Amino acid sequence: MLEIKDLHATVAGKEILKGVNLVINAGETHAIMGPNGAGKSTLSYVICGREGYEVTAGSVIFKGKNLLAMTPDERAGAGLFLGFQYPVEIPGVSNMNFLRTAVNSQRRYRGQDNMAAGDFLKLVRLKAKELDMDPDMLKRPVNVGFSGGEKKRNEMVQMAVLDPVLAVLDETDSGLDIDALKIVAAGINRLRSPDKSILMITHYQRLLDYVVPDFVHVLAAGRIVKTGDKTLALQLEEKGYAGLNIAENAA
Amino acid sequence: MKLYLDNPEIAVNFEAVKAVLPGADQDRLNDRRRHAITSFSETGIPGPRLEQWKYTNLSFLAKENYPIAAKAEQSDEIRQYFDQSYITAIAGPVVVFVNGYFYPDLSSLPTEQGLDFSVFSQNPEAFYQSLQPSAGSSSLNNLNRALVTDGYDISIAADVTLSQPLQIIHIATSGTNMQSVRSRARIKFGQRSQATIIESFIGADDTRYWFHMVSDVILDRGATAAFAQFQVQGKKALHMTEFHSRLSDHARFNHVSLQLGAELDRSELINSFSGEDADISLSGAYLGRLKQSHDIVTRINHDQPHCRSRQLFRGVLDKGGKSAFQGKVVVARDAQKTNADQSNKTLLLDRGAVANAKPELLIYADDVKCSHGATVGEVDPDQLFYLRSRGLDEIAAKGLLTEAFVSEVFDDLEAGPVAEKFRKYTADWLRKEEMS
Ligand SMILES: Nc1ncnc2c1ncn2[C@@H]1O[C@H](COP(=O)(O)OP(=O)(O)OP(=O)(O)O)[C@@H](O)[C@H]1O
Ligand SMILES: [Mg+2]
Repeated sequence: MLEIKDLHATVAGKEILKGVNLVINAGETHAIMGPNGAGKSTLSYVICGREGYEVTAGSVIFKGKNLLAMTPDERAGAGLFLGFQYPVEIPGVSNMNFLRTAVNSQRRYRGQDNMAAGDFLKLVRLKAKELDMDPDMLKRPVNVGFSGGEKKRNEMVQMAVLDPVLAVLDETDSGLDIDALKIVAAGINRLRSPDKSILMITHYQRLLDYVVPDFVHVLAAGRIVKTGDKTLALQLEEKGYAGLNIAENAA
Repeated sequence: MKLYLDNPEIAVNFEAVKAVLPGADQDRLNDRRRHAITSFSETGIPGPRLEQWKYTNLSFLAKENYPIAAKAEQSDEIRQYFDQSYITAIAGPVVVFVNGYFYPDLSSLPTEQGLDFSVFSQNPEAFYQSLQPSAGSSSLNNLNRALVTDGYDISIAADVTLSQPLQIIHIATSGTNMQSVRSRARIKFGQRSQATIIESFIGADDTRYWFHMVSDVILDRGATAAFAQFQVQGKKALHMTEFHSRLSDHARFNHVSLQLGAELDRSELINSFSGEDADISLSGAYLGRLKQSHDIVTRINHDQPHCRSRQLFRGVLDKGGKSAFQGKVVVARDAQKTNADQSNKTLLLDRGAVANAKPELLIYADDVKCSHGATVGEVDPDQLFYLRSRGLDEIAAKGLLTEAFVSEVFDDLEAGPVAEKFRKYTADWLRKEEMS
């Protein structure tokens, strides 16, 4: 599914990723943990093609294609989804209109016609309900005036509607209350299937209780320094990064 | 250096055409026209050194003459502009002017009780009144008085609420190249009367005509006036309007405009209060590209206490577009409890576009609430990435963000045909950009 090899990337001339290697196979769920500023969000942005994140070495192959040569929208069309750590507010564009445009844009990439208006409406309402989102919020401008938790939940509604092949979720659990966390975790679990993969970035063991990962990686100072199964997260929770001899600023 | 530019040919031309101008059989009208051309000649054409005109250079008018356009024969062209402008979802009365002359064939005059409507060419008294000199008139207003061919007069009786908006359409045909088209309007809202007036300005694309119009609107106590204007003139047109409003106690004046046509566009909105507790709301969107320039000049004279004014203007400029927003609010010493708000934002879709903003607040009273904000910026890269990460390509994402940016102007409009017309024109303009 996704194969990252010796990935180096700079932001504003500063090297942030310093040789990331990561393979995610179809059906797998991976978690990335790591200290603040380690480069986790940077990795997610590079995967999704954000401007200003310059790849200086290495490769990223997604479903056999060179991901780095594609625009962000082409990547989305190919089935990639990024759940933002900080979802963006877009005044003047309703959630509904935004979702409809997104769904139909992606269908065009795949050579499909626009979704029938009625089917679309049904789909969105169903997904909003599954994620316990007030239908009124669908009419509101994207993320404007949403609380931190509502924004994250909105990301999950978008994910559910767009139904990606690979979801990269950057701290989707931050800012959620306990009930919301369970609802969001159920949403992530619904996406899991033998032909789909998930990469979760998180600081907390708690999410991993609900969405049990196949692999846990620790990203520190721009490299993956440790990989294990779900018990690695438990060890981290208990001992912290220092306790596992992971220096926050390892050269 | 002179502030005004001379073009002696204009007065010479006036002498040549005065005998054939509408109303030339009446001496008192001729006298007013003569007075107006004399006043104009005393000053001349406003030059770029005048503060108010620093963003729109009319120097070319010192050399180019723009004789008045002739009446047009019936044509498919006229019909097509009419169909493009007339909002059929509203239906109702419509008054059409072609090349500055009333065009009865496509007009259906209002007949509602309490509404007194006439076109100047059929009402000499109203025509005469509209040419009355006024202190402080601009030189171009004087030129308009000297040469105007037609226009309209509206008077709404006290306590009358018009059941339907009135539509006015000004058309310039392809036969008007290097000619001028002039119009005037006098509108009086009686006490507590209410009406909506929708005005469209449209014309031929490959024709350089000079459209000039002056409107004078008076609102009596408690009247409510709503104006919606669509400037979709031809690509090479020169479009200039002067719109004056004066409000008595408790009156409400609402003006929304869309400027997306013409090569040179100059829109002046000059407003004042003659009573207390009155409201003025001006809002508009201007969209420009390819050598187009939009110059919006607003003036609000808060001479009376307890009045409110609100201005909201949004511009979008693509490659080659230019704009200026000059918004002046003057709060007199006695105008306590004034509330004046002004916001102007311009979105640049291309680095080569130029936006100027000149908010000006002159406040002489101490107990007032006044604010203004002006920004010029590009599409927000975070928003753009967010949309693209969901599958929208760059053009679609920018289009959606631009539409959202402009929509703020129309958000206040009651949902309905007028709001839809604004949105449709805006969306069409944005789609054209996709093609270029
Ligand atoms: N636009 C930028 N300009 C300069 N430095 C940047 C920029 N974006 C990110 N960085 C730096 O890159 C480093 C990695 O940031 P990143 O957001 O990837 O960290 P993170 O692992 O996601 O941290 P957190 O756990 O706090 O979310 C940080 O030191 C950050 O300051
Ligand atoms: Mg981060």
